[in-house]
Amino acid sequence: MSIPLNILFWIVVIPGTVVLGLIASWIVRKVSALVQWRVGPPLLQPLYDIMKLMGKEILVPQDAQQTVFIAAPLVGLAGILLLSIMLWRIAIVQTAFLGDIIVAIYLMTLPSLALILGSSASASPHASLGTAREMKLVMGYELSLVLAFIVVIIKTGGQISLAAIAQQAPVLSISGFLAFLVALLCIQAKLGFVPFDIAEAETELGSGVLMEYSGALLAVWKLAQAVMLVGLPLFLVMVFLGGFGTAGLSLVWGIGKYVLILVLLILIKNTNPRVRIDQAMKFFWFYCGITLVIAIILAMIGYYSGISWL
Amino acid sequence: MNQQELKDKLTEIKDKLTEIQQPLDDRIFLLCEAENAYAVNKFLFEDVPLRFVIATGIDSDDCFEVLYHYAYDQLGFVITVRAFIRDCENPSIESISPFLPGAEWTEREIHDLLGIDFKNHPDMRRLILADDWPEGVYPLRKKKAGETAKQWPCETSVRPTTESPARRAVQLSKPILVVGPFHPLQEEMEFFQLSVDGEIVTDIDMRISYNHRGIEGISETLQFDQVPFLVSRVCGICSASHPLAYVQAVEDIAGVTPPERALYVRVIINELERIHSHMLWVGLAGHFIGYDTVFMWAWRYREPVLDLLEEITGNRNNYGNVKVGGCREDIPDETVPKILKELDKLEKKTEMLTKAVLDDPIIHARLKGVGVLSKEDAIKYAVAGPTARGSGIAIDVRRDDSYAAYADLDWKVITQPEGDVFAKAVVRLLEVLEAVKIIRQAVKKLPKGPVAVEVKEIPPGEGCGHAEAPRGETFHYVRSDGGNRPVRHKIRAPSYVNVPSFRASCIGEHIADVTITLAAVDPCYSCTERLAIVDGRGSVLHGYEELHRLSCEKTARLKKEIDPPQWKLEDF
Amino acid sequence: MSWKIWSLKKSPWVFHVNAGACNNCDIEIVNLLTPKFDVERFGIKLVGSPRHADALLVTGVGTRQAAIRLREVYRQTPKPCVVFCIGACACGTGIFEGGYHVAGPIDKIIREVDPNAIIAYVPGCPPKPEAMISGVVKALSAI
Repeated sequence: MSIPLNILFWIVVIPGTVVLGLIASWIVRKVSALVQWRVGPPLLQPLYDIMKLMGKEILVPQDAQQTVFIAAPLVGLAGILLLSIMLWRIAIVQTAFLGDIIVAIYLMTLPSLALILGSSASASPHASLGTAREMKLVMGYELSLVLAFIVVIIKTGGQISLAAIAQQAPVLSISGFLAFLVALLCIQAKLGFVPFDIAEAETELGSGVLMEYSGALLAVWKLAQAVMLVGLPLFLVMVFLGGFGTAGLSLVWGIGKYVLILVLLILIKNTNPRVRIDQAMKFFWFYCGITLVIAIILAMIGYYSGISWL
Repeated sequence: MNQQELKDKLTEIKDKLTEIQQPLDDRIFLLCEAENAYAVNKFLFEDVPLRFVIATGIDSDDCFEVLYHYAYDQLGFVITVRAFIRDCENPSIESISPFLPGAEWTEREIHDLLGIDFKNHPDMRRLILADDWPEGVYPLRKKKAGETAKQWPCETSVRPTTESPARRAVQLSKPILVVGPFHPLQEEMEFFQLSVDGEIVTDIDMRISYNHRGIEGISETLQFDQVPFLVSRVCGICSASHPLAYVQAVEDIAGVTPPERALYVRVIINELERIHSHMLWVGLAGHFIGYDTVFMWAWRYREPVLDLLEEITGNRNNYGNVKVGGCREDIPDETVPKILKELDKLEKKTEMLTKAVLDDPIIHARLKGVGVLSKEDAIKYAVAGPTARGSGIAIDVRRDDSYAAYADLDWKVITQPEGDVFAKAVVRLLEVLEAVKIIRQAVKKLPKGPVAVEVKEIPPGEGCGHAEAPRGETFHYVRSDGGNRPVRHKIRAPSYVNVPSFRASCIGEHIADVTITLAAVDPCYSCTERLAIVDGRGSVLHGYEELHRLSCEKTARLKKEIDPPQWKLEDF
Repeated sequence: MSWKIWSLKKSPWVFHVNAGACNNCDIEIVNLLTPKFDVERFGIKLVGSPRHADALLVTGVGTRQAAIRLREVYRQTPKPCVVFCIGACACGTGIFEGGYHVAGPIDKIIREVDPNAIIAYVPGCPPKPEAMISGVVKALSAI
């Protein structure tokens, strides 16, 4: 890629991702409102929320672990921003490298870990319930998510490079489709959306893992959540739906795929009640586990016998 | 027993009394000295037997008095024991809580406010005054010249701690998880504390003081005709019943009977209030068990009733429609057809809802057998209202000691024998339908004439007035010395006796049923919000939100097991 | 007007505090926050922790017991924040003037902690939900 375009990319990528994240979170809120026969917030509302939070004072609880308390949101935001930058780079500049999917999986866990660390550093008896639940939830879905990606890797014949994976559209096969569904629900949990918003009930009242955060630190958390709405669906698009093109029609197609995933996330969010933590664990370990085992077997059969739709 | 038999029975204890007074046909006062009060109370509660209402403490000039009010519902009598405590330095009297648990709270309150010591009280902790209230200061004692309430300023530097003088060490299970409460202040989770053993409740304690505004004390500084506006705001939802009870007490003292039209207007306003209060409860109960459709429906259908009240009285709540001698405002004739039309609509919807509730197997499974308050416990805790009627005790002030125009109207007292939450729900729903019937009759029979008589003076004397609020009997005791302010005004709201009965109905229940059991006695809205389960060190195990969620999940589980009919909002 | 106040007006998150109220105002607040009135249009959101709040909706006259907690909640609310006194009792003790257990109207209690607090008053007994929305919006635009 030529140098001016390169420079342009680096200047635009972080603000662009943030703006895209804010727009995506507005879409989620607006659609949820319309489903409830309400009007919903104006377009710039997520931006106003973050600006307002930046302007409030930061109260750090007396007994909190200050370093961890302050560092956790920054680490979370950094992780997800890095993931997004990496994915945009791969999509636009085609700089995939061997093993990048592993790096991506690792970066994806950073926000969840940061949430756990931040809330446990809060020294608040209220937040520690959320911490315990978030930990259980993470234990539940991380394995399923990785197994879902392994299904895809099997289908590409063991190539662990996003460029190769993005060439194909594994969702068009049975095993790929199953893995896609599981991955979608894991992303739902990672984003903290209903039905898996056990740890932090975002749209409802109640205590949550972020209870003791205020001011600019809370703004960083909200920003991280917004950017997750960019990075995670993009990752799904690249792994399952055949990549995000950059030229002309494939760009439109790519945007369409991204919007499709957003729509699916919103639909699941608005049509289900919240589940308990033990129900969520059972769901991820048992039901998703079995689905994925079936998918892996199908994928292996399909690969070794050359049947691509298995 | 008829009147003569009752009086004969009372004379059995004559040797312990110094005097028997009967200022009105249905009001009897038994005067005695403090030493004999225990025996007299035991006789009245166990041998006659009478229903305990409340106890009042008074600082008379040369002695202290403790008045124990009882009701004999079959004849509508109110029988009061006036016990005189002659020792003004260290006033004390024997506690009656050992055989009458319903008197525990009221004795703690008298101790807080007047400093009277109750010997052998099982649990004499601070009840109603704030944690930072200075010891030894008793606000309802008569003030010496120059003293005012402002001499007890609050310490602004006091921060809340878990060690409040009212907290009882609750023994219990290991701390598992922790959640903060639903609505209000984080630290305020000491309102209701339940001890649990695993998932079963073993004990409950309550801290009240947050809403204590010292209304009885303020009442002594207001004139008789200003007090109705004050007591209307004791509780927002019983805001028509409190002034009515007070006004009836004063009318007893003054020997005044309001004109007939006033009595009918009072009936109409109070029954409308009963309707919207029960609708509120139905909505909240639905919310607690996870039927949010019912919640939205019930609160939506409250609105026309509130609009109607606004049209008649000028406000959706806090009507200010009664005064000593009658009503302040009339119901204009143009409003009558509107009332009837609204009632027709409401009756149809309520009938549909009642039928749906009575037939829904999920609600049966969820509410039947839950939070049972047995008849014996209900009598011991002296509960009132739908809480009592749901346990098979047929008491209703509107029938027993008929006031306003209820005696001229044809209606039924609704009771259910089982004592569980389902029974109380049925009682409330059917009472809404009865209320509709009552209002229809009252509106049709509304006589012409004035709505008030002029009352110039209140002579010395004492009066007891009670009214049936949506939650139960509201009781007011007023003492006058001929001036233009009450010397003593005692207010007993029905929740005061209903909420402690929670101890009997909740112990042994699963924590998923806690919210609905508490809601079944219909305490005020913000009371239920302050609910938490704590362990021995005061850390919260489960807050209100968790308990609510457990409740909804239990309903969802039951839904899966039993396949219920689907309700849609459009059906209503 | 600083950008902090401007963005606060665009996104006021509220926390409800009952400081000794007769429940009328609280019930009207619950009415307010149901989907029927859709306060999310104004960016208003009910939060469960005072640390996330920009506005405190305080009802009630401020009894002594509640005053202790109310001050604590105010301290835990990050500044800048607005305190809304909802109802006649909160605005000026209303009918409970002179009671021995009344720690004073809400503004007196809050000013003991922070003399420069921003306080807005929505009178009524109780104020209707429409009046509350109107009061909140007007107060925010007047800051």
